[in-house]
Amino acid sequence: MELISLLKGIISLLVILILSPLFVGLVNKLKAIFTGRIGAPLLQPYYDLKRLFRKETINSTNSSFISVVSPVINLVTVVVAAAMLPIGFARPIISFEGDIILFAYMLGLARFFQILAAMDIGSSFEGMGAAREATFAVFAEPIFFFTIGSIAFINGLTSIYDIYHSIRLDNVSYLVFIIVCSISVFFLAITECSRMPVDDPNTHLELTMIHEVMILDNSGIDLFLYQYSSYLKLFIYAILETSFFYPFGVRSYTVGVVIFVVVITILSIALSISETITSRFKMKNIPQYLLFATAIGILNLLIYTFTK
Amino acid sequence: MDLLFYALTIQIFSIIAIAILQDNRKASIAAHLLLITGLILGFAVSFSTLVFSNLSSQSFSAFGIPNELFRFDALGLFFLCIVQLVAIPTTIYSYSYLKHYLDEGKSIRSNLVFYAILLISTQMVVIANHAVLFLVCWEMMSTSAYLGMVFEKEKREVQKGAFYYLVISHVVVFLLYIFFFLLHHQTNSWLFSDFHISPESGNLFIALYILSLIAFGMKAGFMPFHFWLPRAHPIAPTVFSAFLSGIIIKSGIYGILRTFQFLNPTPEWLGWLVLVVSMISAIFGVWYALAQHDIKKLLAYHSVENIGIIGIGIGIGFIGSAYQSIPIQMLGFGGALLHTLNHAIFKSLLFIGSGVIYKNLGTRNIELMGGIVHRGKYFVMLFLIGSIAISGIPPFNGFISEFIIYNGFFTTAKELKNYYPLLMLISAVGLAFVGGLAVACFTKINSIMFLGSERKEVKHFHVSIYEYLSLGIFALLCVVIGFYPQPFIGIVNKVLNHGFVPGNSASELLKINWFFISLIFMTVLSGVLLFYFWKSIVQKKYGSRVSAAWGCGYGGLTPRMQYTASSYADELNEISQTVLVYHKKMKVPEGVFPIEGAFESHSDDLVDSKILLPIFRNISSLICRINFLSYTDIRYYIAFILIIISIYSLIAFLWN
Repeated sequence: MELISLLKGIISLLVILILSPLFVGLVNKLKAIFTGRIGAPLLQPYYDLKRLFRKETINSTNSSFISVVSPVINLVTVVVAAAMLPIGFARPIISFEGDIILFAYMLGLARFFQILAAMDIGSSFEGMGAAREATFAVFAEPIFFFTIGSIAFINGLTSIYDIYHSIRLDNVSYLVFIIVCSISVFFLAITECSRMPVDDPNTHLELTMIHEVMILDNSGIDLFLYQYSSYLKLFIYAILETSFFYPFGVRSYTVGVVIFVVVITILSIALSISETITSRFKMKNIPQYLLFATAIGILNLLIYTFTK
Repeated sequence: MDLLFYALTIQIFSIIAIAILQDNRKASIAAHLLLITGLILGFAVSFSTLVFSNLSSQSFSAFGIPNELFRFDALGLFFLCIVQLVAIPTTIYSYSYLKHYLDEGKSIRSNLVFYAILLISTQMVVIANHAVLFLVCWEMMSTSAYLGMVFEKEKREVQKGAFYYLVISHVVVFLLYIFFFLLHHQTNSWLFSDFHISPESGNLFIALYILSLIAFGMKAGFMPFHFWLPRAHPIAPTVFSAFLSGIIIKSGIYGILRTFQFLNPTPEWLGWLVLVVSMISAIFGVWYALAQHDIKKLLAYHSVENIGIIGIGIGIGFIGSAYQSIPIQMLGFGGALLHTLNHAIFKSLLFIGSGVIYKNLGTRNIELMGGIVHRGKYFVMLFLIGSIAISGIPPFNGFISEFIIYNGFFTTAKELKNYYPLLMLISAVGLAFVGGLAVACFTKINSIMFLGSERKEVKHFHVSIYEYLSLGIFALLCVVIGFYPQPFIGIVNKVLNHGFVPGNSASELLKINWFFISLIFMTVLSGVLLFYFWKSIVQKKYGSRVSAAWGCGYGGLTPRMQYTASSYADELNEISQTVLVYHKKMKVPEGVFPIEGAFESHSDDLVDSKILLPIFRNISSLICRINFLSYTDIRYYIAFILIIISIYSLIAFLWN
């Protein structure tokens, strides 16, 4: 039994590692279809990664050891965070009391080095991106706690795996709570993964972007690692989102996997629709957008606490 | 325990050595050697006592004579260990720091003497058992810190900043007198071990608590009493600012924890009071820090933040005490104690690092720095370890203590039910918010100071072996506590079991899966190393080179065109304009051929400039009103004193 659950955990991690570029490809493809284009092939992110892998690495003349280690730290920490997430109802490889905090802080470590590496280039473009990333991260962090964290506090659970399991559809107020939470997390995912309307993953215009500008001067294997970890990050947030859609009372692995696939697909559609119909916000408005998501989370939590 | 007194005596000999030896250099070497020997011996004794003895016996004898002046209980020993542990590398640094002044031909004797007195008195403060002895040592500690602080006394800002510290320490001592007299009045004893008052004594209990929280809170630098920190730290010599931030403000925490031992269980509202004040200190401390450009001032505000985090732990502990819940108390106080140790370590590291930078660059303004990484790679690595640790990011020690505090939130929510989950969630969000701001702040200073190219030409950048040694010890401690926290958690657990939460063996602290956490950290480390080698192999195969950063095709980029600290923090500062009193002055270049433009941003402290300073001004104007009583002749004053004394004695006589 132990071995099987470990095996399932490893499979979950492998699924995340292998399928994350596919998710990005799916979103991009759907987006192209909605805007009336044929779009790049579904597997384009894989081709991109392959191409980047074989390119020469160029570093800025100003760069130091930070630029060298940062892509690696980024990837490793994101992979460790990914190893804390269950797919289906399988226990993830890393699962212990309090891992929700470690999850948030692991992504914090990735961000810390990403920002430093951006500033390491010594150019104003990267500086802008880094400053924005640092600013928006400050407002994004509370959203995570007001959504996933609130379930943890309400149910007295501190492991992401247990939190997933605790979600049950027993009354209407809980259902409403979960649905609004999932919307909040969607907002969070958009910010953290630099998607529209916060950030445009397709442009390189320095005035309008956050994540892309930070890796503007990177190339070759460095860019490969950054891109891959950003794909992973998007997929991680997609999995967080799926956590809200398990309230069916069925606890079998197959059902869990089916729900996972369905939710991921729905999510990619939702993401591509939202990216099609919205345009980018002004930079000034992004904190407001994030505070709005936080406010939803707080209100939702208050309503739930007082109607219980 | 005799050995501990030998250790203190060795340290006292250092003062004698300074007095005897004529040659400045020899005096410096001898004094530092004696201090370090004494400290290492003392640390060995106190640490082994804390770890190996059962700590149950409260009585103590020195040289065979029973003695009640000192006591070696768990809390005192824990703080003694922190003081000695942090003092060793600081003293090593002190040698290198003073050598720099010796080369300039400045006399360092007084500074060294005050440093030695500061060290000895701080060690005595935490082991004193007699209230009067405590107050004497406390006063010695405060005064010697002040005297050390005014090393460069010819500078105006030094006089001003140090004066704030002097005033605040005397207000603290004044309040402490009242506190201990009241305690003595109630218990008829001067000994800490006899002080115990239960909440049944009503108003007195509350009054004592408030008195203690204000007095020790001032020393610790909780908001709104934080104003002396950003004033005193930047002007003090680095050794003193490191010690001030690492240890002396912790004596406030020590005092609050002692008060808890005297006065428990606490009422619940007091826990909430501490929690809310600490939360405000943490959030605004780090926010003010973000707006600073003076590296030492910035670190001083970070001390306010970290004191806030420690206070959050204490607040949780108080709430746990109100509900008589052992797990909550363990996690709350445990987090606070470990964070006290951790903060002492990484803040000393950062302050000493800033001192090294100041020595080499001659400026504390981070806007003028840059590119240091190309001069001293290893120095930057050590500073970076401290920065990551203070931001509470894994895998270093800051994360471990914050993790315990988060667990405290979870446990409080679970144990107390009702509306507690909501309140604890909000507290957790507050802590996460602080973490996010700390990341923003420390990425700012690390990237602006170290990365990119040099904004102001660096003539030479030299880090001496002593500086490396002291920074290295601190960084090593950060790493060790981060990767292998079990023994440290064990010590904290032992301290809590003796004197805080008695009779509890299965501790919540030990229940946390520390093994798994250190395993994950090791995985991260080995993963990073593995991928690093993989990456270098791939790079070898497909090539790598160095080229100029992209500048829209413009080749003449200068260091001044890099991103600055003000622009980095601008967006966050804009949002909190009112609180930060943040204003900008801009002169936009105009016309087809713009000639000049200027930009200036400035931020102030709301509590400071809008609340406290006006109050002080009013008080001083009020006091000026009684100026008519001032005379040039000292005999008038003696007459005043005599009149007052006779009035007092008359009242006392009639009272009886």
